[in-house]
Amino acid sequence: MSFDFLKDPQLFRYDALSKFVGVFVALFFVLVVIYSIGYMRGRKGLLRYYLCTLATFVASLGAVFANNMLVFLCFWGFLGLLLYLLIAFGRNERTPATAKKAFIIIGGSDALMLLGIVILWQLNGPGEPMSILSLRMDALSQPLNGSLAVLGYLCLAAGALAKAGAMPFHTWVPDTAEDAPIPVTAYLPASLDKLLGIYFLGRLSLEVFRMTTGMNTVLMALGSFTIIAAVMMALIQHDMRRLLGYHAVSQVGYMILGIGTGNPIGIAGGLFHMLNNAIYKSCLFLSAGAVSKRAGTNDLAKLGGFARVMPVTFSTFLISSLAISGVPPFNGFASKWLVYQGVIETGQSGGDLWVVWLVAAMFGSALTLASFMKLTHSIFLGQPSTDVPAEQMLKRRETGFSMWLPTVVLAFLSVVFGVFALQVPLRLFVFPSIGGDVVAPGIWSSGLASLLLVIGIVVGFLIYLAGSLRKSRLVEPFVGGEDLSKMPEMRVSGVDFYETVQGTGVLKGIYRAALKKLFDIYDVLAGFLGWIGQGLAALHNGILPRYLSWCLVGMVVLFFVLIR
Amino acid sequence: MIYLFYLLVYGFLLTAALGLFASWVDRKVTARVQYRIGPPLLQPLIDIVKLMGKETLIPRGASRNTFLLSPVAGLSSVILASALLWVVGLRPGDGFLGDWIVAIYLLTIPSISIIVGGFASGNPLASLGSSREMKLVLAYELPFVLAALVPVIRAGLILRLGDIVVAQQIAGATATSLSGIIALIVAILCVQAKLALVPFDIPEAETEIIHGPLVDYSGSSLALYRLMKNMLLFTLPFFLVILYLGGIRLTGIHILWSVLKYLVLVAIITVIRNTNPRVRIDQALRFFWGPVTILSVIAVVLAVLGL
Repeated sequence: MSFDFLKDPQLFRYDALSKFVGVFVALFFVLVVIYSIGYMRGRKGLLRYYLCTLATFVASLGAVFANNMLVFLCFWGFLGLLLYLLIAFGRNERTPATAKKAFIIIGGSDALMLLGIVILWQLNGPGEPMSILSLRMDALSQPLNGSLAVLGYLCLAAGALAKAGAMPFHTWVPDTAEDAPIPVTAYLPASLDKLLGIYFLGRLSLEVFRMTTGMNTVLMALGSFTIIAAVMMALIQHDMRRLLGYHAVSQVGYMILGIGTGNPIGIAGGLFHMLNNAIYKSCLFLSAGAVSKRAGTNDLAKLGGFARVMPVTFSTFLISSLAISGVPPFNGFASKWLVYQGVIETGQSGGDLWVVWLVAAMFGSALTLASFMKLTHSIFLGQPSTDVPAEQMLKRRETGFSMWLPTVVLAFLSVVFGVFALQVPLRLFVFPSIGGDVVAPGIWSSGLASLLLVIGIVVGFLIYLAGSLRKSRLVEPFVGGEDLSKMPEMRVSGVDFYETVQGTGVLKGIYRAALKKLFDIYDVLAGFLGWIGQGLAALHNGILPRYLSWCLVGMVVLFFVLIR
Repeated sequence: MIYLFYLLVYGFLLTAALGLFASWVDRKVTARVQYRIGPPLLQPLIDIVKLMGKETLIPRGASRNTFLLSPVAGLSSVILASALLWVVGLRPGDGFLGDWIVAIYLLTIPSISIIVGGFASGNPLASLGSSREMKLVLAYELPFVLAALVPVIRAGLILRLGDIVVAQQIAGATATSLSGIIALIVAILCVQAKLALVPFDIPEAETEIIHGPLVDYSGSSLALYRLMKNMLLFTLPFFLVILYLGGIRLTGIHILWSVLKYLVLVAIITVIRNTNPRVRIDQALRFFWGPVTILSVIAVVLAVLGL
């Protein structure tokens, strides 16, 4: 057997961008397998599970290194099927429905992509010089002139956006997060699908098509809307996995915004954010999975106080939370910084809409922080829930080695990629992928700032040392002189922290509509198809005279057409 | 080394001294408003030293490390933010691209540290207070970012604080324009909330939830928080001076102007705090997302139009 076909530039290619994504696909594969050893222990069908995981890994590499559009689409289609199979390992009641939903949304967008490829082929002259079998990404440079080219771009971008989970194709992500096993969520929607979706969007926008200002504005609008809308939904969730799922959607917005800026610094920010998001988001899912494994529930109201029993998981979760909220000096800040800078630069070349995108992105970051403060409180800090029986409480302890090792590695990467943003990830991976350094003079030097922050922390410690810390003493919490242990109803769980927001002005109506799934493309389409189906069903009522009258009407129409 | 010098001397020592002084001004003015004599000049410092000598109590059920580390993280970020602002204020050429973003983000960390610290204490009152603080951050962040964009627009879309200062030295302070004065009003309101002062002291609400997130803090850890808050009382108005009032210059008559700009801002904040009752959190949310945001949008539109 020969592997020469791998070296055929007609089919595959290995440039900086695909290598960059390929390396991290491999990293996430390894980490998720290690985690699964602990998490999936004792479940049925493990062989099938690991085979699916491995097949996903191979198919992802295939998609990343593919150069031919059809080869790419084949691998891409496999990924949709494997996602369906992997979600099905979940044990919730709604898991089958969720798997179906994800499959239909992803599969539907694959069909759109095929349409896009055909359009692309049409535009490049059917037959010579390119047949549809030899549409090479690196040989294309289709200008967006005319409605057919725009339609082709939109069809292909729909596939990328559905995979990455951007609005309006996002609805499978929160459902999957809730119903699939945690390692699967961390593997696909949180890391691999983000890498692949944004990788493909980047390929489309940087290489296959030549973007126009108008299309870039569409992308930026979509990105900003995704950031705000998804994070607003995250604020009010009660299930920790679903909440994280909405953040997996929201963060895509930053990447699309970055790519949509169309200038090197913004694109670098978008790609860097793709990497950072994959790191901290999978870390968050894996840490949450560790908690839900020990607690046996995902309901935020029943958690609380886990920081004391699971210190390692708490640290990794807190670091990732701060990273996703864009707190300096973690990695999320480094990439958001680049995105903001890119957005400002679009303003320098004309147009005033950049204010909207910038404010949406910065405010989205505050909202992200808010919902992670809620999570941190409800899961790890605050008081433990009183609903849990005592023997259950005793079982709560740190997870095993195979489950905390991946989270520690990922949290470590979050710190390193933040502190040494310029030296490590940007120089090694991001800048080569977009062709050369894009560093503006006097960039944010994360390393120096981190050093100074550490010195500030030392100052704080010195104050502690000079003070009375050694004289510390444990006391009962002060609640106006009452005995807290006798008043379980005083516990604040954190689930309802943002009810004030939910009930404010216009938001009230929007939230109500969103909870009714009026914005869910899957449910809306399903409702629409059901409505058509009902119409057709009403025609087929089994009464002979009615069928005969339909025949008659048909014949009349036929004759009319033929004789006219 | 120069950075270390700026960090420790300007960022920490000078900011702390000025912050304690600002806190004294605030307390003295408040006392005069209430027909009291008020504390002596060194009282804020004495308070902190005294707190450092008291024993540090840790509530049972708290996450000890998080509880004790939160104030340190908050203080550290204020020191760094102040050092950054001092560099910009004294040597506008030395800032870096995007320090506007960094300053805004660093000045959010104190709030995060108070929130996490409150959560970590395992006290329901602290949890309530912290959740209010978080909602308050949400409330003021939107208008604050908008208002802070006005000087950026006027300086020609550069996210560098040094360039904003230089642009103001050439074309006059931001607050001399219509958009600038509106933005300054919005920013003062936001700073009031950032400092959690009346009428936005909702997270601490002594009469209701006994200082909220800080209820279980004592001794050295409370001293750290007090120091952090006092330093913020200097750093935040200083940030506004840089954004809207043309920065500071320590030469000749400019020294007087610089001090005056800063003192006027502190005086406004103190007067607001002494003449208003506390509002509820939902009122604050509506206030900031409603009228204040509309005002800041108007300011941004005016700035884009060049007014």
